[in-house]
Amino acid sequence: MCLAVPMEIATIDGFNCICQARGIERDVSLFMLQGEDLQPGDHVLVHVGYAIQKVSESEAIASWQLFDEMLATDA
Amino acid sequence: MIRDARYWLDALRDLDMKRPVRIMNVCGGHERAISVAGLRGALPGNIELVPGPGCPVCICPEEDVFEAIQLALNEDIILVAFGDMLRVPVNVPRRDPRSLEQARAAGADIRPIASPTDAVRIAHDNPSRKVVFFAAGFETTTAPVAAMLAEGVPDNLMVLLSARLTWPAVAMLLDSESPGFDGLIAPGHVSTVMGAEEWQFVVDKHGIPAAVAGFRADTLLAAMYSVMRQLKSGHIFLDNCYPEVVQPGGNLLARTQLDTVMLVGDANWRGVGVIPNSGFSLRPEFAAHDARLAFPSYADDSRKRVGEMPPGCDCAKVVLGKIYPNECRLYGRACTPRKPIGPCMVSDEGACRIWWSAGHRDNRWEGKHAKRAAG
Repeated sequence: MCLAVPMEIATIDGFNCICQARGIERDVSLFMLQGEDLQPGDHVLVHVGYAIQKVSESEAIASWQLFDEMLATDA
Repeated sequence: MIRDARYWLDALRDLDMKRPVRIMNVCGGHERAISVAGLRGALPGNIELVPGPGCPVCICPEEDVFEAIQLALNEDIILVAFGDMLRVPVNVPRRDPRSLEQARAAGADIRPIASPTDAVRIAHDNPSRKVVFFAAGFETTTAPVAAMLAEGVPDNLMVLLSARLTWPAVAMLLDSESPGFDGLIAPGHVSTVMGAEEWQFVVDKHGIPAAVAGFRADTLLAAMYSVMRQLKSGHIFLDNCYPEVVQPGGNLLARTQLDTVMLVGDANWRGVGVIPNSGFSLRPEFAAHDARLAFPSYADDSRKRVGEMPPGCDCAKVVLGKIYPNECRLYGRACTPRKPIGPCMVSDEGACRIWWSAGHRDNRWEGKHAKRAAG
């Protein structure tokens, strides 16, 4: 339950944004990252619909590969 | 310079430590990553990786799940919860609903959600009804619940909070006579929110090496190498092997929101008992959104006596790292992901579920009546 997934910000509207990862779009709250300089194209770690930390693109790509492997093994 | 998993495996072998070392992780995500990558089989034979208290669903008190079920069955409310919680069983007679999922089948309005923002939306869409958000989780999940309340929610949204901090369970183990581990892999995303400093006590008070890890094999192995190297050199410190994400102090705003909305106090852990300073509760300023105050008759203290794991289930020992999942007598026999008995087989974060998903099908219970149980 504590696992956060990196996503790319597509659009920002106040504290809310639309993020995407691997073709999936989600509404994400930026309420816990107020004050961060965030732009479309930036990557954030998302947990239960809230961005908890800004991350680099390379960190996001490496994590996506890991999650693909994890999902592939789930029974 | 980025060093890959192979580099860290070679470095671990080159350390040439012979004595057995047990390294505990306290995060279901770590355990899943370790299992998926097959790290146990790749490590030198003297290193044991022990899954510890890393599953908030598994330790959510039985009386809290029972309270949520009764609320949903007896009040005209919509109960929402993260999907993992819906299949967690409680100890009741067979004729009664044993989980939120069964209560929903019996007619209760129970809806799985993926985010606190879903709870807000459902409350907005149903202004004439009360919506109760049954919120279990560790720090990473609880911070968004706090953020939701800090931002402001509809009057008809209430929270039945069953949230816990991770570190007090580790502190309890370390304060016991047999902690069962020599080094700690500290959780990556809990530390992202709370800061790695939350784990400094492991080093300062107990002289046990600790390293924060991410979820890829390279960062997990880097943390294991750090722990082993610390043990070999005797120079013990808190290492951060996930610095690209875990910042000093964590997410300061998220921690402020947690402090603004919630208090920390002693709290019960299913099958474990009360752990000091391990549970969140809502501050009085948020009393209007506290489901426990709105529906006090469902908080049944007498159930705390039955708040254990189901009969025969060793989830409590699994959660504390006392046994491996497949050393429970029920693992893979009576208890499988399709028909789970214990919460560790229900949740994606539960060690039993993770081991089953990773292909462990053998049962190594060595109890007196193992043969009979197998039949």
